[in-house]
Amino acid sequence: MKKHRSTMAVLALLVMFAVNLVLPAQVVNAADDKQLIFDNAHLLSQEEYRELNAMANEYGAKRETDIMILTSTNPEGADVQKMTENFYDEQAPGYDKPHGNAVILTLDMYHRETYLAGFYKGEQYLDDGRLNKIRNKITPDLSNGDYKLAFEQYIKTTYKYMGFKPGVNPDNIMFNIWFQLGGAAVIGVIVVGIMAYRSGGRVTVNGWTYEDTSTSGILDHQDRYIRTTTTRRKIEKNTSSGSGGGGTTSGGHSHSGSRGSF
Amino acid sequence: MPVIEYKCQSCGSGMVFDSETETLSCPSCGRKDNIEQIPDPLKQQVFSEDEAREYHCTSCGAVIMTDPETSATTCSFCGSAVILSDRLTGSLAPAMVIPFSVSKEEAMKAFKKWCRNGLLTPSGFMTADRIKGMTGIYVPFWLYDLNNQVEVHAHATKVRIYTSGDYEYTETQHFDVYRKIRLNYVKVPIDASEKMNDALMDKLEPFPYEHLKEFKTPYLAGYIAEKYSFDDKALFPRVKDKIREYIDSYIASTVSGYTSVSYTDKQIDTTPKQAKYCLFPVWMINYDFHKSDYTFAMNGQTGKVVGKPPISKAKVAAWFAGVFGVSLLSLKLISWMMGGGFL
Ligand SMILES: [Zn+2]
Ligand SMILES: [Zn+2]
Repeated sequence: MKKHRSTMAVLALLVMFAVNLVLPAQVVNAADDKQLIFDNAHLLSQEEYRELNAMANEYGAKRETDIMILTSTNPEGADVQKMTENFYDEQAPGYDKPHGNAVILTLDMYHRETYLAGFYKGEQYLDDGRLNKIRNKITPDLSNGDYKLAFEQYIKTTYKYMGFKPGVNPDNIMFNIWFQLGGAAVIGVIVVGIMAYRSGGRVTVNGWTYEDTSTSGILDHQDRYIRTTTTRRKIEKNTSSGSGGGGTTSGGHSHSGSRGSF
Repeated sequence: MPVIEYKCQSCGSGMVFDSETETLSCPSCGRKDNIEQIPDPLKQQVFSEDEAREYHCTSCGAVIMTDPETSATTCSFCGSAVILSDRLTGSLAPAMVIPFSVSKEEAMKAFKKWCRNGLLTPSGFMTADRIKGMTGIYVPFWLYDLNNQVEVHAHATKVRIYTSGDYEYTETQHFDVYRKIRLNYVKVPIDASEKMNDALMDKLEPFPYEHLKEFKTPYLAGYIAEKYSFDDKALFPRVKDKIREYIDSYIASTVSGYTSVSYTDKQIDTTPKQAKYCLFPVWMINYDFHKSDYTFAMNGQTGKVVGKPPISKAKVAAWFAGVFGVSLLSLKLISWMMGGGFL
């Protein structure tokens, strides 16, 4: 029975471990929340706003970066990148200090364009490539008008990507928790399967055992070349749908960026 | 009288084969006779085909109850070792024998050790205290010497992939491959007893051929022996089947260095050079566990044990959980070293 209990303990631990990985703790401290969402275009209801702002605070704190959203009807028809840069210069956001670590998602409802910018730690961990990936993930929801869904996705993906060292592909299958769990399960099944299969004894002889090597051998052999065939395939270039990339604000703050329409 | 018993010349008790000294030995007075020097009574006997098929124990006179395949056994009344000689002569005469070298006590010990080492067997099973019976059986085998003429034609390719400019090129070289091989196998064993499970017997190999002896009946004294149920011709397809995978892997080893090989023509011509009738020593162990019977076999020369033991679900779960945990941790570590977060 002792073995049973230790098995159960290991299993329970693994389940807890797995749950922990999938769902980060949901502790909401609404009182201390600072404003990270500036919904000037009124795309969200009060309720949605509170929920998302709390979420942005919570996930941002873990990455020591302000995860921000700016929406605008943009009556003046300003450029979305310029809008984002000015917002950063004027609002002086930052988790650590004014003009500090931040990621900003800007929605220009006039041109129906989005811009993603990462500042300081945000720039270091979210290069143009990663921002492109985030933008590509949320664009379908934005196009459908599911703003809340898109913003949630944005906050979670930003949080997730900032957990990977700069320079590595965050979508590498090795980092996927389901792949890791599945891989570990497959290894477990194979190892135990082999153990069970071998428990009844196995064949330990092969052709060598009974071969009469003194009289066996190759009598004749031929390897005749016939022809060569060649096929070619055009190498797909990685063409990202967005363009733009990063830049520097008038205030002198450098940032990464990704731009696209929805 | 087709029954042979070996009586001790000193005290008159029945003698049996002793695996330790490889002699015919008397359990009462300890007399040991060298088997090589005993005249084999089989050689002097001639039987008529229609002789009454009833055997009487020469010690107590009781009728010996046997299966039709049994050629050596012990009298169920007095325990004397008896050999039914007409089942060991003529076309039924074995050419060779590998005598037992693992005694009953050693077999018992080895089996218990094997049970203890079972990683997935239930703990109750591992104590091995439910052995119902342990029987030393000489199992009939045919040892085939086979000559094979092999001729194969194959289409093989070598593939090279390289990039130039905006294109990826796949260059495939095609070859016509031909091999002519002579492949001879000697003493390939096939069990010839209907009662024995073929898969179980195959796993018992290898039998150490350096212990092959010219057949003499005293080796059987004290053990059960079976006669073959199938002759060498009937089992020829089985041995052909058995060496087929040996031949295939030999052919594959001669066609190396290619990306792909597909055989267009494979001709294997197998000629049986000879088939020798031999008796191999096997301990059969009957084990009773949770009201189910389990059968194990042990090579009577090497001590190798085969047979399906029961599998404990709890142990399978424990091993799975352990391997799963370690693998997951390793994968996490790899992902962490690649730059991903640990959690
Ligand atoms: Zn004696
Ligand atoms: Zn008797």
